[in-house]
Amino acid sequence: MPMRIGRAGHDIDGVFTWALEPSAPFAFEPGQFNMLYAHGVGEVPISISGDPNDFSSLHHTIRVVGNVTEALAALEAGDEVGVRGPFGSTWPLAEASGQDVLFVAGGLGLAPLRPAILSVLTRRSEFGQVTIIYGARSPTDILFRAELERWRGRFDVTLEAIVDHSGTDWYGPVGVVTRLVAEAEIEPEYCVAMLCGPEIMMRFTARELEQRGLEPSQIWVSLERSMKCGVGLCGHCQLGGTFVCKDGPVYRYDRVASKLLLRGL
Amino acid sequence: MEDLESILQKHSFLADLRPEHVKLIVGCAKNLRFRPGEFLAREGQKEACMYLIRRGTVAIETHAPNGETICIETLMPGDVLGISWVTPATAHFDCRARDTVIAFSLDHDCLDRKMREDAALGYAITSRLLDNTYQRLSRLRLQQLDVYR
Ligand SMILES: Cc1cc2nc3c(=O)[nH]c(=O)nc-3n(C[C@H](O)[C@H](O)[C@H](O)COP(=O)(O)OP(=O)(O)OC[C@H]3O[C@@H](n4cnc5c(N)ncnc54)[C@H](O)[C@@H]3O)c2cc1C
Ligand code: FES
Repeated sequence: MPMRIGRAGHDIDGVFTWALEPSAPFAFEPGQFNMLYAHGVGEVPISISGDPNDFSSLHHTIRVVGNVTEALAALEAGDEVGVRGPFGSTWPLAEASGQDVLFVAGGLGLAPLRPAILSVLTRRSEFGQVTIIYGARSPTDILFRAELERWRGRFDVTLEAIVDHSGTDWYGPVGVVTRLVAEAEIEPEYCVAMLCGPEIMMRFTARELEQRGLEPSQIWVSLERSMKCGVGLCGHCQLGGTFVCKDGPVYRYDRVASKLLLRGL
Repeated sequence: MEDLESILQKHSFLADLRPEHVKLIVGCAKNLRFRPGEFLAREGQKEACMYLIRRGTVAIETHAPNGETICIETLMPGDVLGISWVTPATAHFDCRARDTVIAFSLDHDCLDRKMREDAALGYAITSRLLDNTYQRLSRLRLQQLDVYR
């Protein structure tokens, strides 16, 4: 389905966000992705980064890494882009209801988690303690900084951000995201953790959470594999016995942990 | 008011240390306060003591030739600063108080002497240092992978 780009904004170096204007209300669940088509170049899976309660605009946050994302970056407000979706599994908001929620995002991983965070904040009273931990490479690489600062200003959310390195212009902690996970105030028995970021970061974070007493079944991760059809037909995105496009991208960690430890999968 | 011995015992680095061992090291300890911007250690200078951070944040920094300061890691309450004395060495980085920092200092020579005199204390402190070093090393490895690139 072709969609018009309503707004195109630059977030941080090499990353931009689009607000697309669907011709009919577009419903999706947090965690899902769309296949975005750059005319004559190709199609790529991109998570939806907007508010699931906003049916009139569809947000995608994209990092330029290669041919297709470069072609998408060249499009401007008013241009059209091909959209197929939404596809894939969702963050476990129903399971998390009544529990404490811990979001751990790294780098661009904040984009696929954003719809889940917005949903939880909209239905805030349904959840226990809400903690957001965010790791970025440096202060200038912090995605959605203004929004993170707004969330941090709320009395009902704990938010900590950490950067891998900084100059003297950053007053927050410096180090890796697992550092904050180790310090987070969580009640392991009543906590659902949702992780999104580079796979190595998620593995380290999951290990830290297990050390804190969470069961792998309380941890959820969003995985990325290269995709073609997006609907479970071509086998391109296979991970062990599962297809990331159909069974994922969001998985309960105990269901994929062993696969993530195998090299080459 | 709590005495030094009982507050020292509460620091996570010394958690579960036998009371007689805490008594032994209390003579090596001082409770210090650093103002924001003050250095706890300077690159190239001998580290005369190890710090157990109680409050505040310490930035571990180095600088580029253009004078730009690069912060590699921040240490928080519960952390230990100055573990390189075991080698023994001079400080590899500048360690600067970001805000008001309250820390116990443990004099190296004093601690070293007590650890040699009492093997059980030596083991208890060494194994804590090893555990701390390993945790720092694994964090550093993850940082080195530069995963957000
Ligand atoms: C379910 C899912 C959700 C995704 N959500 C987003 C999103 O919200 N925003 C976003 O920017 N990207 C997202 N991606 C990744 C995105 O699909 C790829 O970056 C894109 O396919 C790259 O296409 P390309 O033609 O521009 O680059 P290519 O020419 O395919 O690749 C260029 C370089 O980038 C590397 N690369 C390709 N894909 C990835 C990847 N997934 N992760 C890291 N490196 C990669 C390649 O190894 C190669 O070195 C998602 C992927 C999946 C599977
Ligand atoms: S992309 Fe074709 S099966 Fe998943």
